[in-house]
Amino acid sequence: MKGDMEPRGYWCLQLHAHLPYVRHPEYPDFLEEDWLYEAITETYLPLLSIFEKFVEDGVDFRITMSITPPLAGMLSDNLLQSRYYNKLNKLIELCEKEIWRTINLPQFNETARLYERQLKDCRRIWEKYHGNILTGFRNLQDAGKLEIITCCATHGFLPLETYRSAVRAQVRIACQDYERHFGRRPRGIWLAECAYVPGIDEELKKEGIRYFFLEAHGILYGTPRPRYGVFAPVYCPSGVAAFGRDMETAHQVWSAEMGYPGDADYREFYRDLGYDLDYDYVRPYLHDDGVRRNIGLKYHRITGKVPLSDKQPYNPGWAMNKAAMHAGNFMFNRERQVEHLSGMLGRTPLVTSMYDAELFGHWWFEGPNFIDFLFRKIFYDQKTFTTITPSEYLEKFPKNQVITPAASSWGDKGYYEVWLNGANDWVYRHLHKASERMAELARENPSPDGVRRRALNQAARELLLAQSSDWAFIMTTRTMVEYAEKRTRDHLLNFNNLFEQIKRSQVDERYVHELENKNNIFPLIDYTVFAAEAR
Amino acid sequence: MTENLSSRFKTESSASAAVGRITGLPRGYGDTKIIILPRDPLWMYAYWEVASQAYAELKKKIGEDKLSGGKWMLRVYDITGVAFDGTNSNRFFDIAIGSDIDNWYINVGELNRVWCVDVGVITPDGQFVSVARSNVLGLPRQGVSPITDEQWAILQQEFDRLLRLSGVDKIGRSSFDLTKLMRERWEEIVSLSLPSSFGGASSGARPVAPEEARAKGFWLKADTELIVYGATEPDARLTVQNQPVTLRPDGSFTLRFYLPDGQQEYLIEAVSKDGDMKRQITFVVGRETK
Repeated sequence: MKGDMEPRGYWCLQLHAHLPYVRHPEYPDFLEEDWLYEAITETYLPLLSIFEKFVEDGVDFRITMSITPPLAGMLSDNLLQSRYYNKLNKLIELCEKEIWRTINLPQFNETARLYERQLKDCRRIWEKYHGNILTGFRNLQDAGKLEIITCCATHGFLPLETYRSAVRAQVRIACQDYERHFGRRPRGIWLAECAYVPGIDEELKKEGIRYFFLEAHGILYGTPRPRYGVFAPVYCPSGVAAFGRDMETAHQVWSAEMGYPGDADYREFYRDLGYDLDYDYVRPYLHDDGVRRNIGLKYHRITGKVPLSDKQPYNPGWAMNKAAMHAGNFMFNRERQVEHLSGMLGRTPLVTSMYDAELFGHWWFEGPNFIDFLFRKIFYDQKTFTTITPSEYLEKFPKNQVITPAASSWGDKGYYEVWLNGANDWVYRHLHKASERMAELARENPSPDGVRRRALNQAARELLLAQSSDWAFIMTTRTMVEYAEKRTRDHLLNFNNLFEQIKRSQVDERYVHELENKNNIFPLIDYTVFAAEAR
Repeated sequence: MTENLSSRFKTESSASAAVGRITGLPRGYGDTKIIILPRDPLWMYAYWEVASQAYAELKKKIGEDKLSGGKWMLRVYDITGVAFDGTNSNRFFDIAIGSDIDNWYINVGELNRVWCVDVGVITPDGQFVSVARSNVLGLPRQGVSPITDEQWAILQQEFDRLLRLSGVDKIGRSSFDLTKLMRERWEEIVSLSLPSSFGGASSGARPVAPEEARAKGFWLKADTELIVYGATEPDARLTVQNQPVTLRPDGSFTLRFYLPDGQQEYLIEAVSKDGDMKRQITFVVGRETK
């Protein structure tokens, strides 16, 4: 929206960018590292590129984005950066070949050219930031357009932590790491999986965090009743603000029947050239084991409810049209929603939408285009609402109701079952024991010498890495389960070994060194954060 | 309830899987304790461990006869609004557990209460002997609070409307979980294809993608591609079909084309660095599928 007139409402978009810490220097080629490489190419760089063009074109916008500490750690890691750059260049090489190969396949040639353009744009931005794209996001934050918030240190699932010191460590280490990357303290936090229990906000308060996000029923089932539903933030008794999720915008994107990403004109994720191309030709672009897998180039559209073999060629023009239409539809619905709400609330409504960032680009290929169209339309084509960050909203509207929100998460069924069920419940007795032991170590070692200190810090890293909610989540989804189980087990075993070594005062420097190189998250970690009271 | 029986799981299938999971991790930590965790408004999860020493003490305390004739129990106390001292719960109920079990999901049957759980033994004469007491746990609150803030009062009718607009009817009914959504899409695609088409490819966070669906039974698929290759001076400019081609450092090149039915011409042209020399080669290639 242009001009200075007060809008009738606000829209806050929060994108949650997260991947678990996957970095395997011990192997030259590691399958699960692809999670990061794909997300950089398909989501993080396209979004960065779009945001930068908004600034160039004078399109005012506000977006909030959680960049989790593990993701920030990987994006700033030299090894992963150089591996990504090689991957990107290989893919560009294949794209160039594909443009030649499809000269006689006009139904695919345009799509091949689209990939070439996109990938070369990725390379341009990547090179502009010398491989550290966090700088690009940080610049946008410094320009006042993007608000970057933090998340639990390793995406630890806080309601299932029994030790207060473990909760505190997840929050405090995250805030310290944020400062390292973004040069200031975080104003807000995304609680991993949006998982909250009353009391967590007190730990946020201690770190100077001003707000976090909640699933809708976290607000709606709060005590006392929330006067404005999810359309205004509330203050927890600690004074930290909570922003509740709007369900209408969640449904517009997610609903299987009416959600945007399932449109027949959009690109089909599951039909991939890694399976379609001649094996000898595609072999150099597969992993070392030579097994056919997705390589990220896809020439077909969703088409409809048909088997993969019946998918029709992708038409970039049709898909762009759809993305523009969907953006228009989304904006129209927000205008109507805001008008309706402002009439009945007696207060300027705020609509808060939150999505996984990786939805845009990785799963929904045209998602970044949707965002591009949407924010331009919001700026140029209407005056009903503007986009806002939570910080700005709280500055404008500091008076909000105090309620105790209800325990909740954004997972299936709204609580904790995804992270606590027969497939993963075995992890908790080990995680809790490790938390207890870490607190014990921290209390017993207030001022250790060099190697012992390093061992203590590494023990803290191993514990934090074991706590990632991603592992329990993957165990529930039943794919890549072995990797998730192995990661949980390995970090716990590393922790237990370090615990024994420290307890017996027999720290093996070589072992510590090896782990420091392998599991190098949080270079500046200080284990004494665990020394707080036990529960 | 001895240490060597720890880490048993509830069903056969998960028990065998569990063996792989806990490789290298201790089966117990020599603790005597019970922890309860929230799952949702009606369910909590309890895990516990009774160290052999605590077991021996128990045996001493109540006698071997009573212990062997006794039953292991979880005693679940509703302690909402009380400072629990072991005797003053609002009510309690017991769950019989096998002595080889060390974790359990408990359905509490009542919303918005605070709970505490003891693990212990009921002796043949009906006496409950607690071995360990859990943490105190309030399960997630469900339902709209009956309490209204005077400063932020709202009429019931308006509040109901607001709840509907906030999506109260959709709570817990659908998930917006990305991987779940994608898995459902994948399952739909699989269900549309013949069952033999996908060699057990599963799906999820990053599903293994399928072989292209093919018909059951004997089958054949074939197609053609054309490779055009060659070399010129490394500093020459090369075009194929009037499109520039990047030469390798030694001046060689390889291009691969999809070859459709019909006759195709491939014009290859090299121009020397200073532009005064030119060479052309044209291939005419035909394909006919019978």
